[in-house]
Amino acid sequence: MLNYIWAGLIIVSLLFALGSDIGDLTGDTYRNGQPLPVRLEFDRPFDADAPRQPVSLVLDSLAFRSFYDASGTPEPAYAATLRRSDDGGLEVRLDDSDAALPAPLDAIRDATNPRDQVLQGTLSDLEVQQDSAGAVATAGLTFLPVRFVKLGAITTAAIDFAEIAVTISIGLIGVLALFLGLSKIAEEAGIIYALVKLVRPILGPLFPEIPKDHPAMGMIALNFAANIFGLGNAATPFGIKAMEEMQDLNPDKETATNSMAMFLAMNTASVQLIPPVTLIAILGVETNNVYFPILFTTAGSLTVAIIVTKLLQRMPRFRQSDPLRQQASDPSPET
Amino acid sequence: MDTFREIISVVSVFVLPMLIVGIPLYGLIKRVPVYESFVEGGKEGFGLAVRIIPYLVAILFAIGMFRASGAMEALATFLSPVLALIGMPAEVLPMAIVRPLTGSGSVAIVADLAAQYGETSIITRMAATMFGSTETTFYVIAVYFGAVGVSKARHALAAGLIADVAAMLFAVWMCLLFFG
Repeated sequence: MLNYIWAGLIIVSLLFALGSDIGDLTGDTYRNGQPLPVRLEFDRPFDADAPRQPVSLVLDSLAFRSFYDASGTPEPAYAATLRRSDDGGLEVRLDDSDAALPAPLDAIRDATNPRDQVLQGTLSDLEVQQDSAGAVATAGLTFLPVRFVKLGAITTAAIDFAEIAVTISIGLIGVLALFLGLSKIAEEAGIIYALVKLVRPILGPLFPEIPKDHPAMGMIALNFAANIFGLGNAATPFGIKAMEEMQDLNPDKETATNSMAMFLAMNTASVQLIPPVTLIAILGVETNNVYFPILFTTAGSLTVAIIVTKLLQRMPRFRQSDPLRQQASDPSPET
Repeated sequence: MDTFREIISVVSVFVLPMLIVGIPLYGLIKRVPVYESFVEGGKEGFGLAVRIIPYLVAILFAIGMFRASGAMEALATFLSPVLALIGMPAEVLPMAIVRPLTGSGSVAIVADLAAQYGETSIITRMAATMFGSTETTFYVIAVYFGAVGVSKARHALAAGLIADVAAMLFAVWMCLLFFG
């Protein structure tokens, strides 16, 4: 089940990314290779030979929207630098990587310059009008072609999250050690045996098939007590022992009895007074705030588990498959 | 209702301090060598953190890809009428799906949501409540039935999964009640 969900996530991601990238290519979302009409404003007179000069890049909203068929609004002006590239052409590069860019310029920035995260492109058809204070120019701005944005994005996400996973795990060590240490003290102080006294009285009605003094009852109580205190490692051996004791009472070794089903349903619903250590490690002090929601939820789902198990075992289908019932109605099992 | 929330929020402050102080105190009363026991137990912290790394990587990168591809958004939009009905934000949905299947994977989701939306966001709190209030149903059933060789589980799995669905719904409602 988990295999399919996991593989499904990855495959669906790939298909989705490819679908959206092919849509971008056929719809020409990024206008690859076509110059975006822009206006450049200079504080000083334009110097054609200067290696670099400050400039303010102005995108006309209407021209921008009709060019990209987009709905966003660019900022009034972007501080940028005009510079000569190695092959003699002119390049414009925004100064600020945090500049708010409307879609699809933000995607173009991320795709064409992932390292610095600033928008840059080459100028063409530059027409300068010098005036006394500075200069104004119109030009076409062409960005590097953008293809397979989403494919790049999912690849980056896969690599990044693999790294994040390790950072998270390593960060958990301290708090995990703290609470595992505390758990150990509680375990050695015999807190499980203290809790058994609380659990024991309510078990009778839940497991009517098990005789009161049968060792299965004791193991079930120990398992619940360990679970209540969040001692998962201690709970499992008691649980397995409880299953073995219940198996002794079971005439059909391959089929679960009502008691086993009840025990497992209660275990999966989990009775927890102490949140899992891993949760405490992630949330830290914030665990305080989710403590009561967890407590009420776990109590509610435990109640549902008990009621549902009792109801299901009354259904004709599960009544027929009850090993104890079969034994009672048919003393010589020769079918 | 407001007084109830108020009382709970005051009592909540004592949960972790009670554990951190209460357990060593209880151990001391029971004459447990508390320091030695603490260190003994604490040694497992490193091992546990390292043990969950592959699970975290597996779940986090798959979910990260799913989100980066835009599929998560599409799924959220698609399911939003249903989710709105029960009050669950779409971001919590992966938790509800993964919780019965993998415990460490659920840890990964809580950690991811805490990093994306902050520890105090209702999204993280809902996911944390889901994580803390139920067990990994499939794992529990596999371990216990496997240990004694029972192959016909009868109604055990159905009951466990129904209880899980109930837990997910309760978690959403509890968080809306407490933090909504």
